Amino acid sequence: MKLLIVDDSNIIRSKIARALGSRNLEVVGLARNGHEAVSLFTRTRPDVVTMDLTMPEMDGIECIRRLLELKPDTLILVVSALADKATAIEALKLGAQGFLCKPFSEQDLAEAVEELIKGAVHG
Amino acid sequence: MRFFGLGKYRVIVLTVAMFLVFDLGVLVLNFVISSQIAADALAVNMAGRQRMLSQRAAKTLWQINERTVAGQPASGEMAELTEAVALFDETLTAFRQGGSVRGGAGVVVTLDRIDDAEAIAILQRTNAVWEPYRARITSLLANPAPDIDAVRSALDVARGANLELLKLMNELTSQVEVTAAAKATTLRAVQIGGITLATANFVLILFHFLRKLRQGDALLEQAKKETDDILVTVNEGLFLLDRNFRIGSQHSHALEGILGRSDLGGADFVDLLRGIVTEKTVGMSRDYLDLLFGERVNEKLVGSLNPLDVVEVHFDDQRGGFVTKYLEFRFNRVREGGVVAHLLVTANDVTKRVQLERALKEAHERAKGQMDLLVEVLQVEPDALRDFLAAAAVCLDKVNTLLRERTASAADRREAVIAIYRLLHGLKGDASGVGLSGLAESIHEVEDLVVGLREKHATLDGNDFLPLTVRLERLFTQVDALRGVVNRFAQIRGVVAVEPARAATEPDAAQAPQVRRWREFATRLAEKQGKHVQLHYHGVDPATLASPYREALPTVVNQFIRNAVVHGLEKPEQRLAQGKPAAGNIALYLAAREDGGVDLSFRDDGAGLQLAAIRQAAIERGLLSASEAEACDARRLVELIFRPAFSTRSSADEDGGRGVGLDVIRNYVNEWGGNIRIGSTPREYCHFRISLPRPSPQLSAGAARINGEAA
Repeated sequence: MKLLIVDDSNIIRSKIARALGSRNLEVVGLARNGHEAVSLFTRTRPDVVTMDLTMPEMDGIECIRRLLELKPDTLILVVSALADKATAIEALKLGAQGFLCKPFSEQDLAEAVEELIKGAVHG
Repeated sequence: MRFFGLGKYRVIVLTVAMFLVFDLGVLVLNFVISSQIAADALAVNMAGRQRMLSQRAAKTLWQINERTVAGQPASGEMAELTEAVALFDETLTAFRQGGSVRGGAGVVVTLDRIDDAEAIAILQRTNAVWEPYRARITSLLANPAPDIDAVRSALDVARGANLELLKLMNELTSQVEVTAAAKATTLRAVQIGGITLATANFVLILFHFLRKLRQGDALLEQAKKETDDILVTVNEGLFLLDRNFRIGSQHSHALEGILGRSDLGGADFVDLLRGIVTEKTVGMSRDYLDLLFGERVNEKLVGSLNPLDVVEVHFDDQRGGFVTKYLEFRFNRVREGGVVAHLLVTANDVTKRVQLERALKEAHERAKGQMDLLVEVLQVEPDALRDFLAAAAVCLDKVNTLLRERTASAADRREAVIAIYRLLHGLKGDASGVGLSGLAESIHEVEDLVVGLREKHATLDGNDFLPLTVRLERLFTQVDALRGVVNRFAQIRGVVAVEPARAATEPDAAQAPQVRRWREFATRLAEKQGKHVQLHYHGVDPATLASPYREALPTVVNQFIRNAVVHGLEKPEQRLAQGKPAAGNIALYLAAREDGGVDLSFRDDGAGLQLAAIRQAAIERGLLSASEAEACDARRLVELIFRPAFSTRSSADEDGGRGVGLDVIRNYVNEWGGNIRIGSTPREYCHFRISLPRPSPQLSAGAARINGEAA
């Protein structure tokens, strides 16, 4: 499956890429904000996206809206700090399937993405 | 095909249907046979009428004959004969082929064709007799006024046929009756059979299914009891939520306690939240529950967003106030046929856990704060610190009083705010002055609050002071903690600062004449007390010290030696029992500082200061009341030993017990402008440290006085 990573932090991006790249997921793009995410998404058509919420230029909420317009069956895992539950719930209402709280371990992330994909297959 | 979803009721429905089929069958047969019996009765009736008609035809024929012989007209009889023959013929045809017949009173009835073999044979024989007979009569009747010969000829035929017809019609009647009786018997048998089957079916339903139903009921009852037992016993609040967020009819007993109400079945969960949590949390909870009822989000991946994970709730306490609790709600999807039908909700009262976590966190922060304080205190001059703490206590008390009396007019409240500001501002300055920057920061925060109140002065009311009271309380705690640290620290200081290493020790000073005199004095005194002692000396030759210390210090040291040997050191056997060497040790250190001052350290490894004995002595001498003595801390008790005429010895002798000595030492040290510190641990040691500044010229006279008084 193809994976797009969206996060404004370089450290988080490489952490996610490291944790998921080795697990049957092909990282097809790393985006620093919503704009980059949308253009990378259009080119690479990923199946799974990890999405930060607070980013410059275009935030996660707007980005989720655009991505799902482009491809409604995209699996989106929101990866954000738990500071504002309301925004995270907003993201889920828009169409994200899951939420992972920062900070996370590579194990946490891998399990969350596995659960996300499993849920999409069975449910 | 699953029998239209009848499930376990399939058999009972089939059985009831069979019961109905049996009943219906009996009914239909009953109907069919009854109508046949009716037809049979008609046939019997008609067969009987044929008998009568045959006789009537014969009789009418005979009457015609009579009237014709008498020359009378016979038109009435002719008509009657015509009628009788027509009826007989019509009925006979109907018996053989089926058809309509005129019955009694002119009603037309329908006769079924007779299909009984015996009866058919009778009918055939009847026909054979009847046909010639009918032909003869028909030709007779063709002439309205027949001659006598024609009548006689017909009468002759009638004589031959009449008896035969009567006999045949009798046979027919009997035969039809026999057939009808046979049918009635069949009908009864069918009815009995049908009713028997239906009854058997009913009995089956009654016993078999009732038993099954009762078994099912018992199982249900047991299952319900088990569920009830669980719901009554479980400590968690358990209930189901439907898509409209309504609470199900069943919930655990504990839930009522957790939510503080009992009318929960069917209640709207979101409405219920509305009164006890913030509106924002209500909105988030509704969204979250919607997401769980939807299929899209992954249940396991959204648990951390549960807004009711640990939530602060406020319940009315029925006395106008409210109770704050912390509740934890967990939600799990319950699927029916792959669809989320309900959410199973687990509710817990986690108030104690939350409070414990907070207390732990606070304790941790307090410990850290104390550590910071300790570091700060270490750098502050002890006397300045003591003065500051005393001033701080007074200042905070004043603020507290102002806050307590704030309830008067708005003008009073404004004045109070200004006064509080002034007090706190002063205290903040002092705190930074002595170097307690942490405390100064805390005071500054409170000061900010007060500034806020001052700006609000037009609308100031009593409630505005509430946060100030809370913050002030914290300030009190901080100052208390500081005092605690200082007290503990004062005891530690004596130990950590045992020997100032500022002046070099002269190797042969230990053999200086003055030191020898001290050692001899200690040994002599110990012998008299039945003790052993060793005096170790470090430092400078006392003879090299500046005047007046050179003259006065030997006396001070003698006093310490006397005090140590008489009060401090234990008897050899006691020391051995405590694991100490039999001989007590006295460590004496004397140093001349570069600044011209002198440091003296005197330490013995005896019993240490015995606070209980000091306390007791203070009470006996009326210095403290029993309750005061009980409340007195170690520092104050230790200070008592410097009081004039204070001694813990019960009897005085020439070596100690009169209570003269330490008070004298303190007087001199005060006079020289120096200070004394004491450190002591029970059963381990007692340590005096005297620090004296560079002597001022006018002290010389004082030195002479010491020599005179305390030797």
